[in-house]
This record gives sequence, structure tokens and C-alpha cells, in this order.
Amino acid sequence: MSISFTHRHILEDRMGGYEPSPNANHLTVVRRPVIFSTLAHAGHEAAVAEALSLVEDVVVRSVSPSDWLVVSQSASAATISASLATIPGLSFAEQSDGQVLMALSGPDVRTILAKCVAVDLHADMFAEGQSAPMMICRVAGNLARTGADAFEIIVPRSHAAYVFDELRDAGREFAMTRGFGD
Amino acid sequence: MASLITCPHCGRRPKEEFSIRGDAVPERPAPAASEEAWHAYVYLRDNPRGNIREYWHHVAGCRRWLVVERDNLTHAVFAVTDAREAAKGGTA
Ligand SMILES: [Zn+2]
Repeated sequence: MSISFTHRHILEDRMGGYEPSPNANHLTVVRRPVIFSTLAHAGHEAAVAEALSLVEDVVVRSVSPSDWLVVSQSASAATISASLATIPGLSFAEQSDGQVLMALSGPDVRTILAKCVAVDLHADMFAEGQSAPMMICRVAGNLARTGADAFEIIVPRSHAAYVFDELRDAGREFAMTRGFGD
Repeated sequence: MASLITCPHCGRRPKEEFSIRGDAVPERPAPAASEEAWHAYVYLRDNPRGNIREYWHHVAGCRRWLVVERDNLTHAVFAVTDAREAAKGGTA
């Protein structure tokens, strides 16, 4: 039997363990998200931010005043690329192969994240829909709040196994399960 | 505390997210300036105690260069400005 390398996820070998079904606290590794890195040219920041917010089927993650990650779990890279190409003053590059997207949810997820994130994740300080670049398990990544007890993490592919292991250990006392989601 | 830096873009962050990139006080001489001026700019630094201005690069955050004004004796931070704003004649 042969396995297509391009369809093997970097975290494929780490998904072992006897966990027949997800617990309340669960870490989902999104198998094939589409992720673009985008940069507004000087002077175009506000117009680009506005235009990005209108692109369909994507979420926009803040990186800096002129820098965003555009993430989709439904649209294709070609579709997003075509939309981004219509925005004046924007440079972009596809990063899907270079980044790993993980989603954490559950009642104890903030306690789990507090072990490896220095930013205050109380809802008054980091509201739903908010995202920011930060150190996650000592790796520079992007963290977003997608719900009261739900977060998404984007980290570089080459550091993803390390971050995954750290999160798994952090979640162990809360019986956090893990698995792929498509 | 100097171990927490309030980035104008990212908010209050631990110093581990940053890389200190040196004195922000020296001004780059004109390309044709004298050798003495260039030598002073490249090699000579005061080593003051107290209030200093430094470049901090927010490597693990917004990746912007910042100018941090702080006291290296008490660790008090007085101001953090985006380096581009500071270069335009901002407050820091
Ligand atoms: Zn920052």
C-alpha cells in the first residue's frame, strides 16, 4: 500500500491513543485549511482591512496594522486568490502548506491555554472574534477566540508537532481528546 | 516592570516576545559624512544608567519595530512607540 505524501498531515503520526469519542475538552486539527498571508501597502491599510472583511467564506486574523491571515475551511485557494487579487494595495501569498490550524474547545480550554499563552484570555480582554499574534508554547503563532470556550491557533508547520505535544500535555489533566476535523 | 512591554499594536506582552535591537538614540549620518562621524555611529555608545531609548522588535507579535523608553535601573517603562511614528517625529 502506498500513501500519498501530499495528503499526509504533519501531525498524522501523533493522533494515536485510545479515545473512541471526543470529550468535552477537545483539540481538532483541521486537515486542509486554506491560509493566505496578506500585507497592505503603505497608506492602504484601512481600505484593505475593509475590503478583506467583505471577502466571502473566509475569516480574517489580525497580525499587525497592515498584516492579516485570511483563513478558510470551505472556499478553495483559487477562489480566495481570485478575490484577493481584486483588492487594490494588497500583496498576498498562499501559506496553506506552511501553517497548521488547530481548534480547541471545551469548558477548561482557557485554563489549558493559560499554561502556554501569556495574554489575558478573559472575555473582557480578548473578546469573541478577536485575534492576535502571540507566543503560543514559545512559538510565534496566531490565536483567535471563536466562541466563549473556543479558540483557534495557527502555527508554522515546522513547529506544529511541538505545539501540539505541549497542548496535549496541558490538556491531559482535563482529559482533552484530539483528532482531525475536515 | 520591564518584563512587560505594552506594544501599541498588541497590548501588554512579556519581554520574551521581543528582541532588543540596540540604542535608538544615534542618528545615521549622511552617506558622505566623515569617517569620524561614521565610526561614532557604528561603534561608539554611551552606557547610561537610568532613562534610555532602545529599539525593540516585536518578533513573536506584530513584527513591528518599536522604540521603548525605559529606566534600566528601576525597570520602569515610560513610553512605547511604533518606530515609524517615532521616525516621523512622534512622541517617544
Ligand atoms: Zn506588537
